[in-house]
Amino acid sequence: MATIGIARYITVRTTVAVTVGGLFGSLFILFLQVFDHYTSTESFCTTCHSMELVAVPYRESSHYRPASGVRAECGDCHVSQGLFAATWDHFVGSRDLYKQLFGANYDDPVINALHLPEAAFAAREWFAERQSATCYRCHTLEAIYGERPATREIHLTQSAGKSCIDCHINLVHRPVPDKKVFKREAWNRMIEEEFALPAGSAEVLLTQ
Amino acid sequence: MSYLVFSPLLLRCLLVTLWFMVVSLPVQAAKVALDATHWGIKAGEGCVSCHQTASSGLHQQWQQSAHAKAGVNCLDCHQAKAADSDAFTHEGEVIATLVTPQDCGRCHAEEYAENSGSIHSQSRLLLLNRTGASEAELDAAGCSVCHGSRVTLKIDGTLATGWPNSGVGRLNPDGSRGACSACHGRHQFSRAEARDPQSCRRCHQGSESPDHEAYQSSRHGILFAAHRSEMNLQNDSWVVGKDYSATATCVTCHMGAAPGINATHDVGMRDIWNLGGVVSEQQSLVIFENGETRDLPLSQPAVRKGDTLARNSGESGVVKAVAAPARRRAAMSKVCLECHGKSFATAFFTQFDAQIERYNLEFAIPAQALMQQLYDDARLTPTPFDEPLELSWWRLWHDLGISYRHGAAMASPSMSSSEGWQKLQQHFYGDFLPQLQQLLGVEPSRQLLKQYWGDRYPAWLTDAAAAAPLMGYESLRPAAIAPVASDAPQITPSPSAGAVGTP
Repeated sequence: MATIGIARYITVRTTVAVTVGGLFGSLFILFLQVFDHYTSTESFCTTCHSMELVAVPYRESSHYRPASGVRAECGDCHVSQGLFAATWDHFVGSRDLYKQLFGANYDDPVINALHLPEAAFAAREWFAERQSATCYRCHTLEAIYGERPATREIHLTQSAGKSCIDCHINLVHRPVPDKKVFKREAWNRMIEEEFALPAGSAEVLLTQ
Repeated sequence: MSYLVFSPLLLRCLLVTLWFMVVSLPVQAAKVALDATHWGIKAGEGCVSCHQTASSGLHQQWQQSAHAKAGVNCLDCHQAKAADSDAFTHEGEVIATLVTPQDCGRCHAEEYAENSGSIHSQSRLLLLNRTGASEAELDAAGCSVCHGSRVTLKIDGTLATGWPNSGVGRLNPDGSRGACSACHGRHQFSRAEARDPQSCRRCHQGSESPDHEAYQSSRHGILFAAHRSEMNLQNDSWVVGKDYSATATCVTCHMGAAPGINATHDVGMRDIWNLGGVVSEQQSLVIFENGETRDLPLSQPAVRKGDTLARNSGESGVVKAVAAPARRRAAMSKVCLECHGKSFATAFFTQFDAQIERYNLEFAIPAQALMQQLYDDARLTPTPFDEPLELSWWRLWHDLGISYRHGAAMASPSMSSSEGWQKLQQHFYGDFLPQLQQLLGVEPSRQLLKQYWGDRYPAWLTDAAAAAPLMGYESLRPAAIAPVASDAPQITPSPSAGAVGTP
C-alpha cells in the first residue's frame, strides 16, 4: 500500500524546527516592518548631520507643512512601498551610510552643497525609473484640483505617458537645475560666493 | 555712339539720376531676412496644448499676433542652448528664462543691431556712469523701471535680481542690452502699439521727460487724437506720406521711415540737442566700431574715425564714424517735408533753436555760474539739497527748464510757455531770488545778478519804470482782464514801460 510518505518527515525535530523557524521568520518580517518604518522617518535620517542639512529646506516645503496636515516623511518619497522593495531600498541605501562614514565630509555644509547636484540627479533618476510611484502614495491624479480650473484640466488631459517627476522637480530640497542644463563651474562659483570662499576652492574641496 | 556712352558728363548725369532714384524710394521697416524654414520648431507646437489652458490670456495674445500668423511658436523665441546661463528645462525642452533682444535678433537682426547701438539700450549704463550711483541705489530710487535693471540669475535657477523688468536699458544675463517688450508688449508684440504715442508715455512723461504732455498738447498730438483711425498703425509698411499722413507720432520723427530715409530702432539718432542737462548743447552722434553710439557735445574736442573715446558705459571705444548735428537735423527734416514745405520746416527748427538759446543765455548759463560762485565762496555747502536754494535751483533748471525745452521741441505752447517759461520766471523771482537775498543780502544778490546776467540783467528789479505795466499797478485795472468801456476811469500808464524782464 502506497503511503504519502510525508509522515516520515513529521518528526519532533522537524516540528520544532518549523515552529521555531516560522516564529523567527514571522518575527523577522515584523522586525523588517518596524525597521523599514523606523528607518524611513525624519528623526532617523537626520541622525546623520549631512541629512540634517538637506532637511532644512524640506522643513520649509509644502511636503513638510501642507495645508492638509498630511506630512510626507523622508521614506514616504524616497523608499518604495512594500516590505521587500522597502528592505531592498534600505539595503541599497546603506551605501550612503558607507559614504557618510568613509567618504567625503558631507557634514560640512560646503562639501554637502557642492555634492548636492549629483545627489539630486540620482534621486530624480530613481523617481523616473519608478514612474514616480512613491508620489502616488498620497497623490491621485484625478483628485488634483489646484486653485485654478486649469490645474485639473492640464493634469487630466496632458499627463499621458508622463509621471510627476517629468514636470515637478525642486519641490522640497534646495533647487538644483536639470542635469541637461547643469553647469558645474557656475554651481561651484555660487557656493564659493555663498560661503565667502576664494575662487577655485570648490574644485579643490571636491577632490578631497 | 561710344562717345556718348563714355562721356563723363553723361555718366555723371546718369549717376546723379540713379542716386536720386535710390534716395527717393519709399523705404520701409527692415524685413526679416530669414526664410520661414528657420522657425516653426515642431516641438514648440506642444507648448500650446498646455499653455492655452494654463495661461489662456497669454495664448490669446500670441494667437492674435503677427508671430502666430507667420507660424512662429513659443519655442522659436523661448528656446535656449543648454550652455546658456539662463537655460532651464521644461517638459523636456531647454528653455530660456529670459527672452532677450538677442533672442529676438535671431530673426529681427537689423532692429536688434540698431537698438543695441542706441541711447535706449545704453540708458542704464549711462546712468551708472554719469551719476556714480550703485546698482542697488538705481533700483531703490526707481530708475530701473525705465532705464532697465541688471538681471542676474543664480545657477540654481532662481532669479537673483532685476526681474520683472522691461526697461529699455536692461542688462540681460546673455550680455545683450534692452527689452523689446519695453515698446512691443508681450505677447502680441504689436507694431501698432509701439507706433502709438501712448507706448512712449510709460517713461516719457513727468518732470524728467515731459514728452507726452508736450506731444499731447501740440498740433501733432491733437491731430493724432482726432485721426487715430486714419493712421494705418497696423500696416506692415509705415512710411509717412505713403501709408499715413494724418499726423506725426513720436515714432514718425524719431524713428520713422519717409521717402529717402530709413526707419531705425536707434531712437536718439536724429536728436541734435541735449534737452535734459542744466545747459543745452548741440551734439554730434559718434558711432563706435562695436556698433554703439553716443552723443558728443560740441563743446568737447571733436573726434574722427580711428580716435579713441569713452563710450556711454565709461569704457573706451574706437570711433567708426561721426555725424555732425547738421546731419542729424537733416535726417529728421526729411520726415517733415512729406507734409510741410521746406521753408516751413526750416523756420520751425530755427524757432526751436532760438528758444533753446534763449533758455541758455537768459537763464541756464548765468544761473549756473552764479551757483558755482556760491559753492566756491562756501555760501552753500557741498551737501545737496540741505539749503532751500539748492532745491529751488533744481526745480528751475530740471523741472521747469526741461518742460520749457521739451515743449519748444514739439511746439507745445502749454508746455513751453505755461508750464515752462512762465513758471520758470515765477519761481526765479518768487523762490530763488528771495532765498538768494536771504543768504547774501539784497544788494550783494543784485550785484551777483548784474555780474552774471550783464546786459540781460532785469532792469525792473531796480527801476520800477522799466517794468511792464501789467506786472504792477496795471494788473489792478479791470482792463487787465477784460476790455473796459471808454467811459471807465483811465489810469495813465508809465511812459517808460519796458519789456518784461528776464529770465
